[in-house]
Amino acid sequence: MLLIKNATIVDVNSKLNGKRRDLLIQDGVIQSIKAKIDAPKDAEVWDIAGACISIGWMDIGTNIGDPGFEHREDLQSATAAAAAGGYTAVVVLPNTNPSVHNKAAVNYILKNTAGTVVDFLPIGAVSEDCAGKDITEIYDMHHAGAVAFSDGQNTIQDSGMMMRALQYVKAFDGLVLNHPSDKHIAGNGQLHEGMISTSLGMKGLPSIAEELMVQRDLYLVEYTQSRLHILNISSARSVELVKQAKSKKIGISASVPALNLIFDASAVENFDVNYKVLPPLRDKEDIRALRRAVKSGTIDIITSNHTPLDTEAKDLEFFYADFGVIGLETTFALLNTYLVDDGFSVENLITLLSQNPRKVLNLQIPEIVEGAPANITIFDPNASWTYNRKDIQSKSANSPFTGKTFKGKVLGVVHKGIVRRN
Amino acid sequence: MASTQLSTDHVLGIKYLNVDDINLIFETAENFKEVINRPIKKVPSLRDVTVANLFFENSTRTRISFELAEKRLSADVVNFSAASSSVKKGETLLDTVNNILSMKVDMVVMRHPAPGAPAFLANHIDANIINAGDGTHEHPTQALLDAFSMREALQSDLAGKKICIFGDILHSRVALSNIYCLQKLGAKVRVCGPPTLIPKYINQLGVEVSYDVRQSLEWCDVANVLRIQLERQDIKYFPSLREYAQYFGINKSLLNSLDSEVVIMHPGPINRGVEITSDVADSDQSIILQQVENGVAIRMAILFLLAAKR
Repeated sequence: MLLIKNATIVDVNSKLNGKRRDLLIQDGVIQSIKAKIDAPKDAEVWDIAGACISIGWMDIGTNIGDPGFEHREDLQSATAAAAAGGYTAVVVLPNTNPSVHNKAAVNYILKNTAGTVVDFLPIGAVSEDCAGKDITEIYDMHHAGAVAFSDGQNTIQDSGMMMRALQYVKAFDGLVLNHPSDKHIAGNGQLHEGMISTSLGMKGLPSIAEELMVQRDLYLVEYTQSRLHILNISSARSVELVKQAKSKKIGISASVPALNLIFDASAVENFDVNYKVLPPLRDKEDIRALRRAVKSGTIDIITSNHTPLDTEAKDLEFFYADFGVIGLETTFALLNTYLVDDGFSVENLITLLSQNPRKVLNLQIPEIVEGAPANITIFDPNASWTYNRKDIQSKSANSPFTGKTFKGKVLGVVHKGIVRRN
Repeated sequence: MASTQLSTDHVLGIKYLNVDDINLIFETAENFKEVINRPIKKVPSLRDVTVANLFFENSTRTRISFELAEKRLSADVVNFSAASSSVKKGETLLDTVNNILSMKVDMVVMRHPAPGAPAFLANHIDANIINAGDGTHEHPTQALLDAFSMREALQSDLAGKKICIFGDILHSRVALSNIYCLQKLGAKVRVCGPPTLIPKYINQLGVEVSYDVRQSLEWCDVANVLRIQLERQDIKYFPSLREYAQYFGINKSLLNSLDSEVVIMHPGPINRGVEITSDVADSDQSIILQQVENGVAIRMAILFLLAAKR
């Protein structure tokens, strides 16, 4: 039995939004919500002194290393990292080894995370080994519990395959995700193509490589009348394309990584590998357009783009370092630190992190009401804290933020009757 | 009052040097150029300083030029090249270099295929680093010797002079370092070559872009003609060497048809008959061999100035 005292409820769907309440949780269920609850004899009391609670957050497009890259992240460390970052659910990409490309692989993730505080929702691969050649047993994976389909970090390049995947998932009103990048244009680009890539003499990743793929996928989803999520866009033109398509009531949604809302290409000017990410950090105008799109609802979700990498893959010459940084543990703090000054409210951010991912995936949205399962995140938007190397829960430490002090701290999560306090 | 010390502990790129640094290197190089034309070419400036030449990429002239510069300054020299090393056994750059540094090396001259590798090294180890070319990023000593040679050939400083860089700009560290260096010295810089070999945003660095070789030759005082880097091209950027030579190469009849006499430079090694024909390379207008001579003096100057800061 857990009694959370003095919680400010943040939930735009609830009448209690903004109210301060005590919550009594027993056997994983919210037993009562009252202005003041006296602690029952055997209850654990957690007085959060006016800090906030919301429904549990969900990340989409999380990379885990299990199976195949357990030295980077296994299911246990991913659970710890997600919980520390305030997430009670992660929708994981299929880019493991072997890929999540059949029923057995879906079951592996579900079975091994069944009793944990974080729900792991697998995305099934569209093609065998995410290699873009042969289509997988999508229906079978859907039955096993895959919540959507994508080749993850590997963009589905073949237009025919993308079209058939969009058509095929209509049988069960499924969702396809694609990370937009035309490989023939992106080539071996290392960072956003522009002034910085030119001055460093490195081949760039032109925005148009992303935008062409966004445009193609929008045509395909319009043609197939299916459902598509454009995973992690980063350019102003992509925003424009998504906006136009949304006005036509096409079944699309889009996301942006937190990092791309805050940093531009100048972050890699001195070859800092911890800002070498996909999609790449682009220009200030792109950041402005992305922020506007998040505010207006053109972009539905902010992702952590969590990509754990060991030092052997990351602490290298810029050209040889892999793309990606970890993000689960810092996404809220990052957004709260940088965006709340730019017209975002904490309430906005929480909606983006909790309600919207579930809407995109057609999943039930948890509620903070008496009798409902307790699936909650507890956080203090005003607390400052420092993200120290020794506190990192992920098995990998490829973060640009070690040693950085943030405003906005996750205090813990409660889900499936498990309490995880930071 | 001219400065007497470099502003940096490393020469990672022209980007990181200021105009005073460049002028100081030129002044020092002029002195060394006089030294290397003496009957006794050796001076004791770098006695007891150990320099490691780490070449992770093939090089003949740059490596020999550095080695000569080091030996003429009486440094102790260790040579390392990727072909004969443990790099092929999968050792990382950091391990390789740390091993060498454990043997008490003071300065490292490094050529490496990855842009930013010398900067990576400078962040991790305690030695003066000289970038001898990092992938498609920078080749600062080449740019300095190029600018030094241009000053000599034009018998004036470079402010207001028009320099055109011809050829494969996309894959060239020489182009980028040249642009930075020449702009710092006040020259006007243009690049000219096939559109597929010119980075889209190069104009944001403040250079002009042209695809017309004749018109560019008419415009410039100095033509710095780059080597076509076939080894760096992962895909085809132009259809054939034959077509390249015909439409973007420089030959003697083209030069003769111009009103003015352009100084011709090339960082070597030359693909004779591709970017320039032999009669151009060997003509009186060409200062290609002076560039090589000046290279030793420039490298001596840099080694000397960095050692002076230790």
